[in-house]
Amino acid sequence: MRDLKRTAAARVDDPTRWVRLRVSMVGVVFLGLLAAVFARAVQLQVRERERLRGMAQDQYVRDVEIPARRGDIFDRRGVALAQSVDVDSIWVDPSQLLDVKLASYELAKKLDVDRAELYDRMQRAKRFAWVKRQARPEDVAAAKALGWPMLGIMREPRRFYPQRELAAHVIGLVGTDGHGLDGLELAFEDELSGDPTTRLGFRDARGRKLLTNGLEDVTARQGAAVTLTLDRQLQYVTERALESAVDGAKAVAGMAVVMDPKTGEILALANAPRFNPNAPEKSAPGALRNRSVTDAFEPGSTFKAFVVAAALDAHAITESSTFDCEKGAWAIGKHVVHDTHPHDVLTPGKILQVSSNIGAAKIGAALGREKLVDAFSRFGFAEKPDLGLPGAARGSIPFPRAEISLATQSYGQGLTASAIQLAAGYAALANGGTYMKPYLVSKVVDPDGVVLLENRPTAERRAVSEKAAKAVISMLESVVEKDGTAPKARMDEFRVAGKTGTAQKVDTVAKGYSDKRIASFIGVVPAENPRAVIVVIVDEPKTDIYGGLVAAPAFKEIATAAMPYLGAQPSRAPSAAPATVASAEKPAPRPKEPAAKNPVVAAIEALDTVTEPIAAGVVRVPDLKGKVSRQAVAMLLGASLEPRLDGSGRVTSQAPAPGSLVDRGTRVTLHLAGNAP
Amino acid sequence: MTTRTKTLAARRGGGDASRNLPLTYDPWILGAVLMLVGLGLVMVYSASAVTAQEKLGDSFHYLKRQGIAAFIGLLAMATAMKLGYRRMARLAWPLLLFAMLLLIAVLIPGLGTVVNGARRWIRFPGVSVQPAEVAKVCWAIYLAYSLAKKQDKVTHFSIGFLPHLALGGVLVLLCMPEPDFGSSVALLFLMFVLLFAAGTKLSYLVGSVLMALPFGYHAIASSPYRLARITAFMDPWANRKGSGYQVAESLMSIGSGGITGLGLGDGRQKLFFLPEAHTDFIFSIIGEELGLIGVALLVALYGVLIWRGIRAALNASEPFGSYLGLGITALIAFQAITNMAVAMGLVPTKGLTLPFVSYGGCSLIMLMGASGLLLSVSSTVEGARRRAVAQKARGHTRESTLVDGAEATA
Repeated sequence: MRDLKRTAAARVDDPTRWVRLRVSMVGVVFLGLLAAVFARAVQLQVRERERLRGMAQDQYVRDVEIPARRGDIFDRRGVALAQSVDVDSIWVDPSQLLDVKLASYELAKKLDVDRAELYDRMQRAKRFAWVKRQARPEDVAAAKALGWPMLGIMREPRRFYPQRELAAHVIGLVGTDGHGLDGLELAFEDELSGDPTTRLGFRDARGRKLLTNGLEDVTARQGAAVTLTLDRQLQYVTERALESAVDGAKAVAGMAVVMDPKTGEILALANAPRFNPNAPEKSAPGALRNRSVTDAFEPGSTFKAFVVAAALDAHAITESSTFDCEKGAWAIGKHVVHDTHPHDVLTPGKILQVSSNIGAAKIGAALGREKLVDAFSRFGFAEKPDLGLPGAARGSIPFPRAEISLATQSYGQGLTASAIQLAAGYAALANGGTYMKPYLVSKVVDPDGVVLLENRPTAERRAVSEKAAKAVISMLESVVEKDGTAPKARMDEFRVAGKTGTAQKVDTVAKGYSDKRIASFIGVVPAENPRAVIVVIVDEPKTDIYGGLVAAPAFKEIATAAMPYLGAQPSRAPSAAPATVASAEKPAPRPKEPAAKNPVVAAIEALDTVTEPIAAGVVRVPDLKGKVSRQAVAMLLGASLEPRLDGSGRVTSQAPAPGSLVDRGTRVTLHLAGNAP
Repeated sequence: MTTRTKTLAARRGGGDASRNLPLTYDPWILGAVLMLVGLGLVMVYSASAVTAQEKLGDSFHYLKRQGIAAFIGLLAMATAMKLGYRRMARLAWPLLLFAMLLLIAVLIPGLGTVVNGARRWIRFPGVSVQPAEVAKVCWAIYLAYSLAKKQDKVTHFSIGFLPHLALGGVLVLLCMPEPDFGSSVALLFLMFVLLFAAGTKLSYLVGSVLMALPFGYHAIASSPYRLARITAFMDPWANRKGSGYQVAESLMSIGSGGITGLGLGDGRQKLFFLPEAHTDFIFSIIGEELGLIGVALLVALYGVLIWRGIRAALNASEPFGSYLGLGITALIAFQAITNMAVAMGLVPTKGLTLPFVSYGGCSLIMLMGASGLLLSVSSTVEGARRRAVAQKARGHTRESTLVDGAEATA
């Protein structure tokens, strides 16, 4: 009894019971917390396992994206205008450096980089900073000589333009990151860039490659090749002629287009000033503009041909209609239209030959506003040409409500057009009135041979009747005669139909016409069976302002080279008299050479000298796969490389890889297999 | 069962003092500690081999050092078992003073070594001492001694509560400048657990925690790195590149392991992604390489330690043993649970090691020594049981044994 009582009392009062209880409670709480910790582990390792594992993998299995080799750009004959080569870029892991500032100074000095910029890059980056991208071989050697373990070298593809300035405006540019910035490089970015290679590599947090697990080149796919309608030779001749015209006239800029009127293919598209796309940073401001495509300007008298053709087509006039040219001054309301020389009564042919503004205005008036504007749009004006080039100008033809607007538009003022549009419009005249869609890119083919894009000659619409077109072409032949505006465009062997233009430039500040001019000449040659339409435009010439004086000689230079090159049959045997005119006008570029030498051949020979060597002392490894040993050795020796053969037969593989840039005299190892022939 | 019968038989056979009897240590505790130490050695090697090779050119560097520490730890454990925990009562004050001296010494520049911005180590040739690790065990011994001595008066505010709080405060003040927030929390937690068990009014405990809150807040808010740890804890993914880096990497490691793990040595996170993979975040590597199975084993081992440690405390023959057993168990449990919870993003980063497993010689030796004491406490369990049985037979109540024990110790 006593025991029982004590036990009951102890249950209530005795502190030791409480101690036991509390100790047990602490134990239970610990075990409960431990269970909670385990539950969390279950949650992480069972339920969230996939997500977390994926995240972990993202950081140590780093997909190293290596841009694909960008597709090449070729001219119509397969000459490369833009190519990709592999070059070395140098990078650094700044986290491994004790003194980033000191290291950046050292690197900047050794590798010729801007010190402040490099330090800034290295400071911002945790584990990867470019020291020098697309480094020269001597920089790579200098980097290797430093022997720093935190310096790395990575191969990157670099864009290279072997023809330098040639067609640079058309081709455009790529940035250091390998993406197109301008021109076709930008317009065909998706096709040219291809699919980047994805390489899987295990990396630790310091970004070093630990191992690769056989998954390389998963999606390696080179970019598509773009073939243009441009012809390298014609392009070269055109650029050279344009440049000398612009320089000779002390003009600010120039544009030139050569087009095949029967197909709409653009054979040459030139601009002045030019730039070297391999070093665009060194070019003059504005030199990168592809003016022929992007600039719309008031064309002036070259437009008169369209007016006459439209009026003939609409039967508003006949070839023998006459117009009073008001002795050089004709008042429309409070405005007065002037001619450069006073004329009395002229036929449409004469109006074109002497380029009478008053005559053209009267023909325009005879045709009427609606029909005039309609005709302009049938010739492709105020319509964006679809060349695939970015920033193409549309030009504008405001409806000529006022009498004076109708008059000025009839001689090509008060409306705007681009050089490409003018070429396409004249091509329609040259092509019997059928407007062919102008195009520049003929084919885009991916490396598997799949044609991604193909342009063929497309007859867009009839601009004017064949009769009207032919009549205007024959009228335009008189322009290059002695009493026309452009006798300097006359050729000995080929009949030329052409038109000059000397347009006033709008002064954007004073809201009126300035004394600045745009001089132009558009020629169709040979007139009887046109093979080329050549547009030459010189912006703000200073010495002479007339198209017949400034632009016509350049046309002639281009046409002289282009005709035999295009295989055109001469219209007539060269006469003695004009030949002397020609030689007096254009002295032969190389007087010591035989006079009989075809100018095209001379031009092409000159062209080879513009092809830029990649860098001094550096050569590109040729692709020798499938070549027999003798051939391969010859090619290597030709490229100043030292061949080293392994096996016999045909080349199965080579090191370094084709396309890589190496120092002159580098040893190239060829693995050969199979029987020698 | 056989052990128990045998011991009982032995006790019946004669003798009056328990120390004359063959000692029977709890094999569960011994087994769990040895397995944890073994697992730790394996994991330290796996987690540190690449880093060690990289930094020191010797992939075995950390394993060797940990192995030596484990050996010293075994000696410490055996010594503690041999000496018996009761001797610690007399050493309680000197040990506490020694720990305080160490804590002061580490703050003296030149004596204390700074690693990762914290002055927490005193380097001697061959060994480096981490005073906070020493202090934790000494604090547990002191508290057990003090509470057992004040048994009846422990509920009094001025005798049972205030002096402990004051001493605890001194220790925390010494720890904070290192800075060592984790150890401070561990010291205070240990004190609260023991005071709670000893019967301190809950209102005192809760009240003092509430009063400490503003100071804790200040300690966190005033230190950018502690604040960063809190934000990292709140959302490790949002701060993944900054303050949340460790936790995010740790979560990814553990998650990657899945149920079976990637296999020992095959973890990838330790390749420099996970900082302190072999010390504070070794649990992440266990999770990654051994998977949920490995985590379950680890949790089970700690579970066994807690269960048997609490049991030893409950069955101790005297209050000092009881409190000491509880204190050491609580120390191990608190660090283990906190470390794992940190690694899995449940609580903010503290800087506490995973007991017996993490790399760190001082922590390992101290904890193994403490385990020796715990084993010593457990060895008296059978004695207590026998005595209880005997006293029951003589008509005494069982609970008086505890009081007797306390008197004997005092």
